[in-house]
Amino acid sequence: MPVDFYWRMAMEGDQPSLRRKGAASRGGFAKDATGGLAPGTREGGPDGYSHLDYLAEVARATETSGFVGALLPSFPHTDDPWAAAAALAGETSVYRFMVAFQPGFLHPVQAARMTASLQVATGGRVVYNIISGGGGPQQLWWGDKVDHDDRYTRTSEFLDVLKGVWYADRPYDHEGRFYRVEGGGLPPSLSGQPFPEIFFSGSSKAAIVAAGRHADHYLSWLEPLPSLAAKFDQVREHCAGIGRVPRFAVRLDVLARETEQEAWEEIRRGWARPGPAATPAFVGLGDSVGWRRGQDLAGEGNEDDGHRALEVSPNVWGGFHVLRAGPAFGLVGDYRQVAARLDELIGLGVEAFVLGGVPHLEEAYHVGERVLPLLRGGAAGRGGGS
Amino acid sequence: MTPEFHLTLPVERRRAAALPPLPDFVTDLRPSDAAGPYERLARVGRAAELAGLDGVLAPFDPAGQDPLVVAGGLLRGSRHTRVTAEFHPGIATPVYAAKLSASLQRFSGDRFDWRLTVDLDPQTARAQGDFLEGAERYARAEEFLTVAKGVWSQEDYDFQGSFYEVLGGGLLFPLSGRAFPRVQLSGLSAEALALSARHGDVHVFGLDDDLDSGIAALRELSLETGREPVYGLRLPVLAREDDIEARRDALRLWIRRGGAREAFPEPDPCTALWPGFGTVGLTGSHEDGPAAGFHEPGLVGSYGRVADAVRGHLDRGVSVFFLEVEPHLEETYRLGEHLLPLLAKEKHHAG
Repeated sequence: MPVDFYWRMAMEGDQPSLRRKGAASRGGFAKDATGGLAPGTREGGPDGYSHLDYLAEVARATETSGFVGALLPSFPHTDDPWAAAAALAGETSVYRFMVAFQPGFLHPVQAARMTASLQVATGGRVVYNIISGGGGPQQLWWGDKVDHDDRYTRTSEFLDVLKGVWYADRPYDHEGRFYRVEGGGLPPSLSGQPFPEIFFSGSSKAAIVAAGRHADHYLSWLEPLPSLAAKFDQVREHCAGIGRVPRFAVRLDVLARETEQEAWEEIRRGWARPGPAATPAFVGLGDSVGWRRGQDLAGEGNEDDGHRALEVSPNVWGGFHVLRAGPAFGLVGDYRQVAARLDELIGLGVEAFVLGGVPHLEEAYHVGERVLPLLRGGAAGRGGGS
Repeated sequence: MTPEFHLTLPVERRRAAALPPLPDFVTDLRPSDAAGPYERLARVGRAAELAGLDGVLAPFDPAGQDPLVVAGGLLRGSRHTRVTAEFHPGIATPVYAAKLSASLQRFSGDRFDWRLTVDLDPQTARAQGDFLEGAERYARAEEFLTVAKGVWSQEDYDFQGSFYEVLGGGLLFPLSGRAFPRVQLSGLSAEALALSARHGDVHVFGLDDDLDSGIAALRELSLETGREPVYGLRLPVLAREDDIEARRDALRLWIRRGGAREAFPEPDPCTALWPGFGTVGLTGSHEDGPAAGFHEPGLVGSYGRVADAVRGHLDRGVSVFFLEVEPHLEETYRLGEHLLPLLAKEKHHAG
């Protein structure tokens, strides 16, 4: 079974490195624009470039360095994945756009039309990352009042309608709890495109139930390997009940260097640097079960040299959320070590990865060119590796 | 009011244009993939950019590509032209529409505009999953624009209406603070005019509409709302070096669309008005039958005569023209090189 490596697109802007906590000065996300890029400054004024120009560079780096495409995540303060994918569709040739979205915000017929148009524009390179939402007050920021568990029911119906419209060979009708359509379908100029592969996010029971019916891949943040293995088992068990075999994908950050010391030194410097303490991760994680799991497992920890205390098992480090917005766990080590840990994940049954690293442009080359070639596969991973 | 000229994009209903084979002895290096709809639209967009038009409009048509996706690509491929996407309020929540649009503004330097279509024909609307009818549609459009503008420009924004609800909303830095898309609306009903007086930046008429009374009614409503939209006009155009050439090409267009030669309506020699643009239904590609984008009457005549007709509309209060032409690429260059220079004075010395 081939393993797909995606790289992450930084829709929230980018930091120059992990040493500069919280300063997303690429893409116009830092309030203090000094030293910012895309937009940058020339002769005292804005240079006319935008976040999109930087995203295009990351896409090109991603495409040429060994990745199949990127996850374009979505949070309240970040740029929109549909907008970015539409704008960048013409600028890469094999790069897949994994568009993250919450079903409640778009009508499924519109989602079908936008997706099919993007499939036409890209030659079928759209992938979905469907999130049903952290919820709580955050969900009302989005103007969505459907509560946590009901959102998964809506997600299921949303995907039923989307697929109904997509595959309709006669006028499609639907009358459900959330949506109604009469005589729907795609016109000849949009029909017959491949339906996007679905990566499904969500750690709660309701999410697993909803994912079972629709997900091609069950996407999870990295956790310490034993707890990840337990989570996979839980999903396997549920899926067995409905006659499906789940496929697993993991999203994690990677910091890989020539030597282990160099990698940890990078972390140490970021950790020691005064700055806004732990970035409270993304606003928007609300009542997310996945986020709480990560926090509980990583704990707090902010003494100057305490960063190594968050290495829960060799090379698995739970402090990334302190150095940049986002989830806690990732891999730190030399190229070989990081490759070996990825092999272990493949050994657990992971068939797709969404890797990320800060800054996303330079690290895409680093990881694509130096780590991916060292991978040996799941059999090596199960043997323990080193 | 500075006049603006926007190009209405074709509705791409075809996957790829079939290319005729070349004779064997001709070296054929053509790429095996013919340009698809996205690339064909991008070429028309670049034509509008190079020809100096002020903007392009991606119309909504159930048979065509999605205007938001098209607009994203066109904004990426241009530096100056504004790009308008036409959509109906049922496609997304206003919060999501605002957020997606804020990104397009960030990516493009605030060149993205909205044309909100409120009055879809009911059958089309139901196929899009929208069952609202009549005046309720205007009530929803009102809420849609209120919420979109609310989250765009306010912090801690709360809204509770019949259609939408937001708590503690408001776009966050750096998505906040951009220019809200210019809102284009249309329609002659009391509800349509009232919506425009409250939310419209451009109210778009057709040549068939009673322009003077429409403008007068909106001016009166705007006394209450304290804001007045500018006025736009959909304008199919076929302009040539002289009237005879223009008539010849209008006749070709007429016949290509199935009109009978003996039934050909002559262009009006004074006003350049020609009623034939909509005859057999039109646009994009004539072999595929009718599509939205082209409307009944338009202008046929020499560049000078068409320019005069445009000036006449400027005098009546119209300042934004949504030109409809075919074939799009060459006609766009023609407009940029021959018609717009005749209107340079109006463009640069507007009051």
